[in-house]
Amino acid sequence: MSFLEQLLAGFATALHWPGIVVMIAGVAWGIIGGAIPGISGAVAMALALPYTFSLDAATALVMLAGVWAGANYGGSIPAILIRIPGTPAAAAALLDGYELNKQGLASKALGISLVCGTIGGLISIIVLIAMVVPLGNLVLAFASPETFMLALFGLTLIAGLTERSFLKGLAAGFFGLLLTTVGLDTLTGSLRFTFGRSELLSGMDIVSVMVGLFAVSEMFYQIAHPAGRAPEVEGKASTAFPTLAELRSVSRATVVGTIVGIIVGIMPGAGATASSFVAYNEAKRWSKRPDLFGKGSLEGVAAPETANNAVQGGDLVPTLALGIPGSNSAAIMLAALILHGIVPGPFLMSRHTDLVFTLFAGLIMVNLLMIPVGVVILRGCMAILKLSPPVLVGAILAIVVIGTYAGDLFILNPLLALGFGIIGYGMRVYGFSAAATVLGMVLGGLVESELRRSLLISLGSWSIFVTRPISAVLLVMTVGVLLYPAVMYARTRRRQVQTARTA
Amino acid sequence: MEGRTGKVDDGARRELAVAAFLVAFGGVVVALARRIPPGVYTDPLGPAAFPIALGAGIAICGLLLGAAMLTFRGHSGFKSTLAEPGPDDDQTTGSGPFSPARLIGAIAATAVYLVGFTPLGYLVVTPPYVLAIMVIHGGAGRRSLLVGPLLVTAALYATFRYGLLIPIPDGILEVVLR
Repeated sequence: MSFLEQLLAGFATALHWPGIVVMIAGVAWGIIGGAIPGISGAVAMALALPYTFSLDAATALVMLAGVWAGANYGGSIPAILIRIPGTPAAAAALLDGYELNKQGLASKALGISLVCGTIGGLISIIVLIAMVVPLGNLVLAFASPETFMLALFGLTLIAGLTERSFLKGLAAGFFGLLLTTVGLDTLTGSLRFTFGRSELLSGMDIVSVMVGLFAVSEMFYQIAHPAGRAPEVEGKASTAFPTLAELRSVSRATVVGTIVGIIVGIMPGAGATASSFVAYNEAKRWSKRPDLFGKGSLEGVAAPETANNAVQGGDLVPTLALGIPGSNSAAIMLAALILHGIVPGPFLMSRHTDLVFTLFAGLIMVNLLMIPVGVVILRGCMAILKLSPPVLVGAILAIVVIGTYAGDLFILNPLLALGFGIIGYGMRVYGFSAAATVLGMVLGGLVESELRRSLLISLGSWSIFVTRPISAVLLVMTVGVLLYPAVMYARTRRRQVQTARTA
Repeated sequence: MEGRTGKVDDGARRELAVAAFLVAFGGVVVALARRIPPGVYTDPLGPAAFPIALGAGIAICGLLLGAAMLTFRGHSGFKSTLAEPGPDDDQTTGSGPFSPARLIGAIAATAVYLVGFTPLGYLVVTPPYVLAIMVIHGGAGRRSLLVGPLLVTAALYATFRYGLLIPIPDGILEVVLR
């Protein structure tokens, strides 16, 4: 099948019943979730994960893509209306969005956010499609040693870049890998860390772990660290679409936001928050009216919102081409694959081409659906923002319990979610972000199986990882990433000593 | 840990405690993994090697973290390269001071809720659970406390039972609801 035929087939699958309904539901939940301060895109996706059980893998992925895209826009709603970013990434849009609200232009700011975000999202998906297909062909030369080294490199890179401390990042990544060893070892039939519980034979329920680490820990954090009284949401809000002249006036900011979002998205560990702030600063630098930034500039809303949405396509490049998720949201997408019995990895593109093309089509669809759903759902978001935070926290915890229970009707799963909620809370308080653990859990099965398969091929000789050129290069890169923090520290110290000597 | 002023640094002490926990946890993992039976067919690595390596890796991270804290703490270049925390992409900000009572209360309420979830049923245990969480969270008005738990329970029940067709446990109300 040609590329175009595959894409058309992807559209046909994505739009097949109940695909379109699931997409709308995903985008709607994403916008609502993103609009609720305290629920980031990853939390909204984790909460949606249990409800993908009954869907096929492609529809599940498309739904989660909808939640992800929706949350990117949803975060800007409270940022513009009540000066509280719904997601951390929406903080940059707050700077000018709330100023526009004070000038009575909230509807216009919401319209710019929605339209420019959609443009950024769509362009990033086109870039994604253009990059993933050739990259997917490149990894066809990979055998077990290369796949193992690639997964190890990805994990090290992400642990080093996303984590707040490199050593804690590595420890959290190892912990994630360790979680995947629980259950029956398929190669030898040995039981590992099951402690006599038959429910653990098939391993830890990845949904319960993710929901616990992201959603439950977040709710516990909000309860244990109560914020001050939230500002009241008053009046009504609507979306005013930008005119052609207004779109032309923000075109430069939109281009800057798109480029920044895609580049930052491709880099593992750098997320939507970084992209929106970088885009804001770059748009200000390139603007004809930089003096208006911070005082209610439409460009100041357009740039971060475009970047925020363009991150999705960039983020999915390493996820789909190499099997290395660059963010929590991408890791949750891969977790949905594991739920449906598909092993994520560099061969996703070649072995599940139809699935990947359905996701491409679904990503285009959800970005297009953002505009109608975003307009319609705004009133619902306002109503939810008017609810008091305690009601929302109680409701979310109840949703977590039902959602994790619904998978296989085991009460052990909500208990796991509670346990990992406590662990996630502790990790957050002591400076371990859950991201590396989740990424370790997603990559764990692949890392161990490919390592053992490599050693089977080499009859137990570890030289297989250095005698094969690609594997050796990946090994050198992994060691480089491991040594990077120490090298950086040594350089900083040397500079400090030199400065002290000259002074 | 001695700082430049000679006083014990609370942050450093906390990091050392974290390092000690990692070493202990890694050690426990290694000890448990060593007990994994080899199984009926053993590949060159065996089923225990990977978990042992991971346990050792966690312990080594703890050792390096502790050593780095003790050796380099006073050096300014240490920050953000080896052990000090920085910002995260998915975490909310702007929270208030820590309240251990609230945290313990929320965990206990959730544990009790899970214990009663299947035998008593969703409709029986959810309203008091949501109410408990609202009270523990604080800041809810009297009207919210009265209406909130009932509305949340009813809305979620309708959504999951009739919308998503998820068999939520009815518990002691099974006879009535059937």
